Amino acid sequence: MVFAQFTQFFINGLMGGAIYALIAIGIVSIFKATKVVNFAHGYIIMFGAYFYYTFSVIIPGLDWMPGWLLSWEPRWLVEWSGNLPMFSPLSSLADWIKNIPRIILGISGALICNSILGLLIERFLMRPLMGQSSFSMIMVTVGLISVLSGLANLIWTADADFVPYISPNAPIRISFFGATIFIFSSDLINVLIALILFVLVVGSVKYFKSGIAIRATAEDQSTAYSMGISVPKVFAGAWWLASLTGAMAGVILATRNGISPTLGLFGFSVLAIVLMAGLDSYMGVLLASLSVGVLEAMAQWKLGGDWAEVTPYIAVLIVILIRPHGIMGQEEVERI
Amino acid sequence: MIVGELKSNYASDEFIWDNIYKKLFLIGCIIFLILLPFFSNDYVILLASRMLIILTAVVGVNVVMGYAGQMSLGHAAFIAIGAYVTCIFYNLTEGFIPLGIMPLISIPLSMLLAALAGLIVGLPSLRVKGIYLAVATLSANFIIIFIIEQPFLSQWTGGLVGIDSPNPNLFGWDMDTKREKYWLVMPIAVFLLLFAQNLFQTKIGRAFIAIRDSDYSAEILGISLYNYKLLSFAISAAYCGAAGALWAYFFARILPEQFELLLSLQLVVALIVGGLGRTMGPVLGVILVLLVPELIKMVFGMIPSDGFSIEKIRAPLQEITFGVLIIGFILFEPLGLVAITDRLFRFLNRWPFAQ
Repeated sequence: MVFAQFTQFFINGLMGGAIYALIAIGIVSIFKATKVVNFAHGYIIMFGAYFYYTFSVIIPGLDWMPGWLLSWEPRWLVEWSGNLPMFSPLSSLADWIKNIPRIILGISGALICNSILGLLIERFLMRPLMGQSSFSMIMVTVGLISVLSGLANLIWTADADFVPYISPNAPIRISFFGATIFIFSSDLINVLIALILFVLVVGSVKYFKSGIAIRATAEDQSTAYSMGISVPKVFAGAWWLASLTGAMAGVILATRNGISPTLGLFGFSVLAIVLMAGLDSYMGVLLASLSVGVLEAMAQWKLGGDWAEVTPYIAVLIVILIRPHGIMGQEEVERI
Repeated sequence: MIVGELKSNYASDEFIWDNIYKKLFLIGCIIFLILLPFFSNDYVILLASRMLIILTAVVGVNVVMGYAGQMSLGHAAFIAIGAYVTCIFYNLTEGFIPLGIMPLISIPLSMLLAALAGLIVGLPSLRVKGIYLAVATLSANFIIIFIIEQPFLSQWTGGLVGIDSPNPNLFGWDMDTKREKYWLVMPIAVFLLLFAQNLFQTKIGRAFIAIRDSDYSAEILGISLYNYKLLSFAISAAYCGAAGALWAYFFARILPEQFELLLSLQLVVALIVGGLGRTMGPVLGVILVLLVPELIKMVFGMIPSDGFSIEKIRAPLQEITFGVLIIGFILFEPLGLVAITDRLFRFLNRWPFAQ
């Protein structure tokens, strides 16, 4: 029984960790390209979640929108789902098919609007500070925290709400060495999306030309500039990448936890995870995210839910004291 | 017009208020603060006392960020420690210690315990700096508030719902109105501000400045980073502890959620808006950061409305203004309000010979 519980919490932790990794990509990408640690990333994610809410719940619910947008019910689907037993995997599939139009609208809306948000922030707040100390840019992102959370309260009000799942949500029962484990299929697909995006981003930074430009800028801004790399474009690209992955993370978090202004707080625990990993290593971030996810799940199992909230912070303090540059971070060489 | 400051011995170089204008300004400010309660209403007293309490904390943050150059986003935790120590000490010793001297013991005790916490939180500063330190202190803030909220401590701390705080009593003078408490808050805040100003004329303060400018160079010059970095954290935490004690005495109840990240950010924002590493920086910054929300409240109070919908817009607007303030200052006036006053004084000083 204990083994079954352990496996269950372990797998839950891994799934949470994969989503942390997706959030962390944004912080790492921006840091790699611009040497700025984005304190407001959690709030950019929150905007992604609210955009998804807007395009998948508010807009389809308007009176003048066609009815199929809110609930798509072609004749074959109605006939087919009418015969299905309640709460079976197939009926959850049927529910999902009904929601497909608004899910597509929601995700594309979230991706587009969040990219615009990221590019606006980069163009008007970050680029004027290019070449100055990273302290002032970091402080700008600290200021962004209040601006973004205030804006979200102003536009969407502070009420919590729910959004449609992005994939069919049926419980799956797996037998694992005699232990029975429950997994929700939507969680599984969320993890798949997160991991695929992670691999795509890491691969593109490694092999594509624009990714190599990001790495060159990270190495030395002025040299990269003189070698013909457009550093402003690299900055914009990094912010775009961060807000895009942030939008997807926001959509996933919105389906898991519902919409509320507290989504922004995820950014801080992910910041702790990223520092634990060492800020500039994608692999380290994946490792740290998964291990913190598992640690959180274990804390939740043994100590209770509120301990899970401080787990990342305790973990980062311990790691920083032992390895000041994180698990896999590059040590900065300083000259006087 | 001041053409230069002529100094003929080392003693005069160490004077803090080295010219007559600064002396007059200081005396004027103190007289203004003493006279303030006699011609202002309760609202102004409340606002002024809040400003002085936050000012004490921001002066502490200035020690660690402005002078010693260590980034910290966790100083609200020290305010929490100061406030809780004051309340718990009062509840535990009520009866043994005469009420009249309670503040004289509990305020130094709050400062001492906050300084101890500062030593612990400052430990990462020996290994890491910059952004890593900012996140380490931010984590410490989350953890300390989490500990305060724990159920096993709730018989002392009150847990999530907070704790009623005592009224200060000085030698039998029971201060139970805000107007009376002003006389406790104001002298302590002014004294601590002047003490910080004095600190930077001493060996310790100069060591802090050397560490800020380049910590490896400072180490080569023979400044022990171990001692001085921790000392800067301890001093700044003691300031925040004093602010917390005053906070607990001034307000009727303290809640753990008051001391979360938002307050830490507020302290840092006030410092940056005012000007890092300057004496008047915290003063001007705190005045602006606390005055702007009040102005918004006043403007909204003037708009006739049904009261409900307008109230919903006000809180987010205050939050946005807060963020816009810091972003605007970093983009357009990175040295803060003191840079503006410096320019003004330079202009007045040289007028009409130069601009």
